[in-house]
Amino acid sequence: MRRFLTRRLLLAVPSLLGVTAVVYATVALVPGDPVSAFLGPGASPGARRELAARLGLGRPLPVRYAHWLGHAVRGDLGTSVSAQRPVTEVLWPALQQTLVVTAAAFALVVAGGVLLGAVGALRPRGPAGRLAGALSTLSVSAPQFSVALLLISVFAVRLRWLPAGGTHDAFGPGGTADLLRHLVLPAVAAALVPLGLTARVFRTALAGVLESDLADGLRARGTTRAVVLCHCAHNAAPALLTIGGLQLAYLLEGVVFVETLFDWPGLGRLLYDALAARDFPVVQGGVLVVAVAFIGINILVDAAHALIDPRVRSTS
Amino acid sequence: MPIRHRLFRSTALTSAALLMTAVAGCGSHAGTGRAGGGTSGHGGTLVIGATGKLPNPDTMMGGDGFEGKRLVAFQLYEGLTRYDLSKTDGPSRVTGALATSWTVAPDHRTWTFTLRKGVTFQDGTAFDTAAVIFNLDRYLNPKSPYYTTALGAAASEYAGDIAAYRAAGSGRVTLVTKAANGHFPEDLAHVLIASPTALRKSGTARFATHPVGTGPFAFVSQTTGQRIELAANKRYWRGAPKLDRLVIEAIPDAAARTAALRSGRVNWIEYPNPDDIDSLKSAGAQIVTNSYDHLWYWILDTAKGPWRDVRVRRAANYAIDRKAVAESLLHGTADPAYQAAPRATFAYDPKGDTYTHDPAKARQLLAEAGYPNGFSTSVTVPTGGSGNLLPVPITEALQRDLADVGIKVTIRTTDWSTLIGDEAKGTVALGSDAIAQSTTLFQSEALLPLFVGSGSPFWTGHYANKNVDRLLAAAAASPVLATRQDDYRRALAQVTADAPWLFVVNDRNPRALAPDVHGLVQPQSWFLDLTTVRVGK
Repeated sequence: MRRFLTRRLLLAVPSLLGVTAVVYATVALVPGDPVSAFLGPGASPGARRELAARLGLGRPLPVRYAHWLGHAVRGDLGTSVSAQRPVTEVLWPALQQTLVVTAAAFALVVAGGVLLGAVGALRPRGPAGRLAGALSTLSVSAPQFSVALLLISVFAVRLRWLPAGGTHDAFGPGGTADLLRHLVLPAVAAALVPLGLTARVFRTALAGVLESDLADGLRARGTTRAVVLCHCAHNAAPALLTIGGLQLAYLLEGVVFVETLFDWPGLGRLLYDALAARDFPVVQGGVLVVAVAFIGINILVDAAHALIDPRVRSTS
Repeated sequence: MPIRHRLFRSTALTSAALLMTAVAGCGSHAGTGRAGGGTSGHGGTLVIGATGKLPNPDTMMGGDGFEGKRLVAFQLYEGLTRYDLSKTDGPSRVTGALATSWTVAPDHRTWTFTLRKGVTFQDGTAFDTAAVIFNLDRYLNPKSPYYTTALGAAASEYAGDIAAYRAAGSGRVTLVTKAANGHFPEDLAHVLIASPTALRKSGTARFATHPVGTGPFAFVSQTTGQRIELAANKRYWRGAPKLDRLVIEAIPDAAARTAALRSGRVNWIEYPNPDDIDSLKSAGAQIVTNSYDHLWYWILDTAKGPWRDVRVRRAANYAIDRKAVAESLLHGTADPAYQAAPRATFAYDPKGDTYTHDPAKARQLLAEAGYPNGFSTSVTVPTGGSGNLLPVPITEALQRDLADVGIKVTIRTTDWSTLIGDEAKGTVALGSDAIAQSTTLFQSEALLPLFVGSGSPFWTGHYANKNVDRLLAAAAASPVLATRQDDYRRALAQVTADAPWLFVVNDRNPRALAPDVHGLVQPQSWFLDLTTVRVGK
């Protein structure tokens, strides 16, 4: 297991190098520059030149990248152009907010996905199974943006049960209960598509195992339905793990629109604003964090996979 | 074991989700029937939904557009002067803030300001001559420990004309400009003064996390770029603001802003989508508008193709139906612009209104110029951006009008940062023959030559007119308002006649307020005085 993890961690290094290099080059090629975005129209040309020099914009791209990388490995991601503060200081609170909304959405994905998938697999021809299937199909195919707006319009504007956005009520004292109320709609909006996908994958996997010789064998031995289900669920678990891991990574990336629409001050929103302001150090730092998280999740999923399935361990 | 473990885990997750929903349900009534509700204090809490990212709150660092200056910087800080935003019936004029009066020497360069006595910063320290010198050092003197390249570059926009500054005794400071500068007092409204004590404590690097000025509202907390909370400065020299708290939240999506107001999350939104105005009104919201020095226009490349001919440029101006854009498309949140000078500026003369909707005249001018069958051209349009209203739908309306007289326009869209980034380098994004954009032409007078002067470092469609340059220079050098007004009127009348732009509309700065927000005086300015606003019955 240790060898497995070491190998995966070592393989992550070139992946990260590749991602950061590609993003660095792409961001540098985007038209527009941080100086024009940061300074008003009346700033003097001399001041523009001086700031551009200070930001190192005149140096060749590979030199800038090497300089950035040299500092990044020591934990220094540079200074944000618009906030004029260390990038890490700007990223950290945003990352925390993203983790909160991602975790909530992921909890919904797993709970809802397992529930709908299991019902679909156990009662494939009954009304409950059909309903579960219809719900997961609807969930996958619903246009996320429109559904998010619909959720706001119904639950925040018409019924006023839940807040329309933000993390806390500006008129109230705040607190955890307030945060949780604000979390519901963004978490549901973000969870929708991954939930449907997870349900469909789990349903297929579980249905396959339930129809296999394993299930028949268990039933022939006279084991109870619950035990049969437990064993079958174990065998369907690798599929759930794979899709769950993928969906978690997808959620991390996909929260940009949720954060924008619900004014959730997370990483996606920060990256969106930073890109508009051509705040390259923040974009680069944010992408690095997302890439590390993405690769980290994949390693964790693979490790969990290896734990559940001895065949994966032995082949690795 | 692993199975039980996993089952336990999924049960726990399901319970957590159910619990979350239950908590949400329990607290749900707290949000009902409270659009703009006040808190314990008498003035209440105002929560504003802003259209874009909030600025860096360190004085002039800004960096995120004029809306940030309006809602954050001008609430936290003041300069030696300020805009008088208490009137609704005329363009806002400059008045004293941290200075009570000023005189200018006959060279029109040496200005002496008498500072206001008894003003304190929000941290309780006194404002004095040393504070002014400290701040100017911070903006202009690279040897100051509080100077940074970024701050110096940002401050150069309004403080860049200051050549020398010194204390002049008995509460006065003398500032010398590089050249004769008649609008210097207005420039100084943007040169913001921060507390030297607070700056010494935090240093420039951390000042944005603890900003302190003399403005009507004091800093409480922020989520960088997204949300900022301020509290009334009870010691404010013009009298404490009526509000207790002021919260600004960035809500860039227009639909989300409308939802935020209708759900009671905020009690004020900036720039509601014009299409939402009727529904907001019927939901009880107050819609407030007033003209300011805004112009939405196309800059035509006067050195390229048919646009080189002034008759063609005038033809295009006669071809478009601005009234339809202002009234039907923008639902009255803008006024048609029949000339270069925006209507809410002292350079506006109603007699200068020139370009009515006259397609027949447009066709005649095109025929005279040798284009009886029209021609094809292109325009680059931003998809959004501060003050740009609905850039693509407006351009599409203009495209239809121009097609009626034979001018076939290809629309190319790009993002706002790309457009202004290229413009600052003197080029056009996507290489079109024109760009669509908006600007506040007189915010401040110092910026006007950037838009119509021949020496502008920006892309101005290669427009150059020596008469305009001469009038702008004469206006800028005169400290006499009447002289400047006369020169600016003549300069902009010349621009109207030369038609280097397609003059389209002047925005009316719409905002929607919850029914219990009172006391807003909407001036003819981009900026706002929030000291008169209160929330409650």
